[in-house]
Amino acid sequence: MSLFSNKGLSEAEIAHKRYKIKHRVTSIAGPIARFFVLFGMCFVIMYPLMYMVSTAFSPQAEMSDPSRIWIPKKIIFSNLVDAWHAMSYPKTFWTTLYLNLGSSLIQVLACALTGYGFARFKFKGQGFLFGIVIMMIIVPPQILSIPVFMQFFNFPLGSLINTPFAMYLPALFANGLRAGLFILIFRQFFKGLPKELEDAAYLDGCGPFKTFVRVMAPNAGSSFLTVFLFSIVWYWNDSYVSVIFVNNLAPMSVMVQNLSMHMAQQIYGKTDIPGTELIVWMEAGALLSILPILIMYVFLQKYFTEGIERSGIVG
Amino acid sequence: MSKPNVNLDATELEVDTQVEGADTTASEVKSKDKPKKLRISYERKKGLYGYGFISLWIIGTIYFFLIPIAKSIFYSFHKTSLESGKLNLTFVGLNNFNEALFKSPTYIPALSASLTEVWQRVVIIVIFSLFIAVLLNQKFRGRVVARAIFFLPVIIATGPVIGIINGDMVNQGVQGAEQFNTLFETDLVGKLMEFIGIYNISQQLTETIQTITSDIFNLVWNSGVQILIFLAALQTIPTAAREAAEVEGATAWEYFWKITFPYVSPMILANIIYTVIDCFTDPNNEVMRMVVSMKDQWNFGYMSAIAWIYFAIVGVALAVVILIVSKLVHYEVD
Repeated sequence: MSLFSNKGLSEAEIAHKRYKIKHRVTSIAGPIARFFVLFGMCFVIMYPLMYMVSTAFSPQAEMSDPSRIWIPKKIIFSNLVDAWHAMSYPKTFWTTLYLNLGSSLIQVLACALTGYGFARFKFKGQGFLFGIVIMMIIVPPQILSIPVFMQFFNFPLGSLINTPFAMYLPALFANGLRAGLFILIFRQFFKGLPKELEDAAYLDGCGPFKTFVRVMAPNAGSSFLTVFLFSIVWYWNDSYVSVIFVNNLAPMSVMVQNLSMHMAQQIYGKTDIPGTELIVWMEAGALLSILPILIMYVFLQKYFTEGIERSGIVG
Repeated sequence: MSKPNVNLDATELEVDTQVEGADTTASEVKSKDKPKKLRISYERKKGLYGYGFISLWIIGTIYFFLIPIAKSIFYSFHKTSLESGKLNLTFVGLNNFNEALFKSPTYIPALSASLTEVWQRVVIIVIFSLFIAVLLNQKFRGRVVARAIFFLPVIIATGPVIGIINGDMVNQGVQGAEQFNTLFETDLVGKLMEFIGIYNISQQLTETIQTITSDIFNLVWNSGVQILIFLAALQTIPTAAREAAEVEGATAWEYFWKITFPYVSPMILANIIYTVIDCFTDPNNEVMRMVVSMKDQWNFGYMSAIAWIYFAIVGVALAVVILIVSKLVHYEVD
């Protein structure tokens, strides 16, 4: 019986057959269409990265060669070496590391405490205070940076500008980069934990703080890790706050912003070089600057992508 | 008598129950021993602990958030200048706002451009990321890799690195982001629309479609978090609902509108809020660039004024959107 002849079939059988044909067509065409859409989008995402890697290993002379498309005719490492020196990479990396890790760590702890306070206790003015947390998410740092700068500059114990404390202090008081979002995540997570945990801890004679340290925090492991990783990434990538508060310490993001200047100085010995002359070195520098984060992402990828699902923002 | 363990420093509740309990001798002893102020209810004491937990944040917020906000509003009514490391303020009333809204030739165009961009992007990104999330939620080979790639922009896009990559590509002129634009912008899309027969139905439609396609790069690079949030929401759809739909013979289209959409609708609201905030605080949009350039000229008064006008408009718009959308949202559990 051929698929396309309807001879001698009842209405119902024809309908069923139509359904089957339709089903077969969609079950073949669907995955193909899906593949093309996803592949295309992935290509759009990967394009600049592939471009960056490809350029970083090319000689400058090849950049104007139209016959070279992706793979350099001659793979060289000297761009990376030059960029390494121009960025004084080891020192920059170390500065970024202690600024980032320090701030992220302190910030995660402070935000966890705050989120826990909002999630598990009832007190006067809670709604109002939580409204302020939401405000913290919405108000951009551009509005706040100047007054905070003045406060840091005229700090009673001496200017905090260009010291690590300019980053550590806000983090310690749960007001670092995107702290509002982190408090929200922790609040949602701790709200989801069962009340019985708390009661059991209470019967065993734990005070609220001990309950938090011994019972609640160990359960929040994956939340802590997710927030910590996001915090690191956002501190690493932040250029606005770093430039204002710790410009002279020159963490990675500040270095990247002034990359063309550093590169021109390193390679040509003067600063007024058009960008087109510097492409290969700029790309090499960009590659170096995101390499640590990329490596971290490759290894901890599931904590980023699954973290949001588990952190309890949803549901 | 079996006494519950009287752990005085840990639990105030037990002290309370004993004071009011039948055991009068014990209560008398207790009330003589203890000063009166300890007799606060457990609820209140727990509330105080709550304040204890958020105390760091309260201090920090006053110093790093509320005072700066107040100062920024204060600046916006002043003319500021920097003299030998000190900020000079002269009260000018509403002059800064007046200047921005009625005199400046650049602010109003920048404002309307930014606002248009924000709302266009929000609509497109939310639809796009829901679409991609539904695709990524299906079972197929390489799903983990695809997810990792779609989330990659969140790791990189926030930094200045992408600026360099993009900037260089544009500089070079031949390759890069521009290529996407020309690829989609010129004829392909036009031809395609002509083919389907929707070309030139209305100028507006054509333009909108061309905006979307030429902006595909920014679109994909800015929807990482949104895709992830939708993906997480899709995981919450119970298997029972899916099976029921299968048994009833629902098509994929019906399944999307009757099952998927209601379940993810709360997250649509969350994503709208996230995207609005993300777009409007994006340092690359025109108003934010103006704000930063004013900061570089130490013109804080004017800078605060333009930032606050922008912020107020976006805030009101956001509030309206939240009000409307939250009416339409379906909640499984209340």
